[in-house]
Amino acid sequence: MSSASNTLISVLYHCPCNGATQSPGGLDTGVRVNSEGEEAVVPNASSNSELEAQLKLPLQPNSELLVLRASAIENLYYCDDCSELRCSRCVIEEPAGYHCPNCLFDVPTASVRSEKNCCARNCFQCPVCTHMLSVVETDTETRPFSFACSVCYWDSREIGWEFEKATGISPQIEAIKASDQQAKEYTSLLEYWRTVYRISATSAPTSTLGGHSVGGALKSRFGLSSGLAGNSASTAVIPPYQAAGYMDTDHTRVSQRMNIENVDTVPPLSADLTSIEPQRIRLHMKLARRCRSCHHILIKPESKAQATRFKIQLMAANFLPTITLPNRLSPKTPVLLPEMPLRVGKTVPLVLRFANPLYSEMRVTVAACAPEQDSHVEVVAQQFVLAPFTELWEYDEDEDEDSDGSSSGERSAGRQRGIVDRQGNRVAIQLNLTPKAVIDNLTVPLFVTCTHQDDMDMDTDAPASAPAGGDSSRRTVTNKFWVYISLGPTVQ
Amino acid sequence: MGRLQIAPQALVCKNTIIEGDVQIGNGTVVHVGASILAKNGPIIIGSNNIISERATIINNHAHPLTIGDDNLIETDSRVEGRGMGHRNTVQVRGIIAGTSTLGNNCVVGAACTTDLAENVPDNTVLFGCPQARRMRADGNSDHLFMHKKHLEYIHEMLPRYNHIIEAE
Repeated sequence: MSSASNTLISVLYHCPCNGATQSPGGLDTGVRVNSEGEEAVVPNASSNSELEAQLKLPLQPNSELLVLRASAIENLYYCDDCSELRCSRCVIEEPAGYHCPNCLFDVPTASVRSEKNCCARNCFQCPVCTHMLSVVETDTETRPFSFACSVCYWDSREIGWEFEKATGISPQIEAIKASDQQAKEYTSLLEYWRTVYRISATSAPTSTLGGHSVGGALKSRFGLSSGLAGNSASTAVIPPYQAAGYMDTDHTRVSQRMNIENVDTVPPLSADLTSIEPQRIRLHMKLARRCRSCHHILIKPESKAQATRFKIQLMAANFLPTITLPNRLSPKTPVLLPEMPLRVGKTVPLVLRFANPLYSEMRVTVAACAPEQDSHVEVVAQQFVLAPFTELWEYDEDEDEDSDGSSSGERSAGRQRGIVDRQGNRVAIQLNLTPKAVIDNLTVPLFVTCTHQDDMDMDTDAPASAPAGGDSSRRTVTNKFWVYISLGPTVQ
Repeated sequence: MGRLQIAPQALVCKNTIIEGDVQIGNGTVVHVGASILAKNGPIIIGSNNIISERATIINNHAHPLTIGDDNLIETDSRVEGRGMGHRNTVQVRGIIAGTSTLGNNCVVGAACTTDLAENVPDNTVLFGCPQARRMRADGNSDHLFMHKKHLEYIHEMLPRYNHIIEAE
């Protein structure tokens, strides 16, 4: 089925970074030019074959590392200071804001630490299905509110959490927990031992006495022997502990627990999940990304939780040409994709479309690797120019002219061999592909070089308006990268 | 032979596919695009149900498929088997498969499905992916109240925008 195999077709851009180390191998540079003239750095046709001979694949097409090192252009960034491609492995991520996914409240950084990365408001998670709980009202007279989950229909009444008010749930939960017998006993015990420690520490500031008085108080708690057996006067001061309400009368079990020496087995997790209390909802982070070598910010989201936009958004698709395998060029033209699966030995024309995202012209050179055992690719149009990206209304004029069928001189005269179509800022070129072996996933590597003039005034000293006769300093930027085109399986 | 009996207060839209021996009780609403196909045996639908768009209720067996009262069968779901009791909810794309039945007060979650031949006990909730099930506590009063409101609203608004089959 052609639709099923279309999912295997992808164009992946390779980032030559090493991930952990600073800058990638110097594949490309931005050549700075003085105001004398413009220098275009474009390999001409004769040196292209030399280029092809020199090309060394960074990664074999069937390498498993391709998944890590190459990704679709949507997942890649571009540092315009370094003029280089950046992938998710060679950027530094840092938090740009914390928010709760349920109530969309922006949490200030100080509160994040104190609330242990959870939402401090009424945001809780269902203990059964971890969905977000909502406060519902029923018509019982006392304490009508409770938490309910809309996915698994769990209600907090099952663990006894019922509330009087719909807001300010946190203090009501504290109140419920505080009324628990065991919790009360625990807090009073804690208070007792704290006073014991304080008294013993102040009365006799040596560590041994602290141990003595603890032993004395312990004995008096269990009534095993008189507390005055110790020789220190401090034990006489501390009254024996009175249980606040909860007393475990099973003395054998308690003394067994107190004298445990080895722990060999761990009791299994209880299967009764509904007795677990709802947890607070964890906060989500918004991440900003920086270039690893020059620390220039590449991605900066707006810190407000509801805002999905970005203040700074340097994506690869805004600087590098987008390469696609179009199904058809326009609704009326025939289908371009070759029939899948590809057959060994059969040469098919493969159409690649390059789209220029920049406002200036871009020269592109495409080179295929030397023939290898998997496939042979012949690049017909090795070098071409992409027109700049213009606003949409200009496109309509262009299309009207083209669809007239009139031979506008520019189009037919400048028609380059291998260029299938040219529309606005996009060019479709033809490659002749011959698979040579039967493999699971045929991957074709191509080396793409693109050059453009950057019109930005980099010198702040230079006057804003260029004097007559002088040139504002332009920068020629060249980007070179490998592209891996996956085409699915080949058959005999 | 197809025999469609619609109770006087029921609201059945004209753009539905109803085949075979079907009885629809009082107050039940059958939305546009729903299919009620009594292929081999009859289908008996109780009162105050809401059968949403693209829902399919199909009876391929000879025994009748009975649906109780106050059920909500949401969009694009599928009901087969012997039917269900009262106050159930079959959520979007939920499936009651094979010859299974649903008790009372159950919820078949979104895109969840019963086994092929089981009688789902009362108060069961099927949910999640991977699918799990649990029992819900009683106390459905809030849901029933909303269901009534929903029905009233539909009875008021649906005839204004859709053609309704006139009950004899």
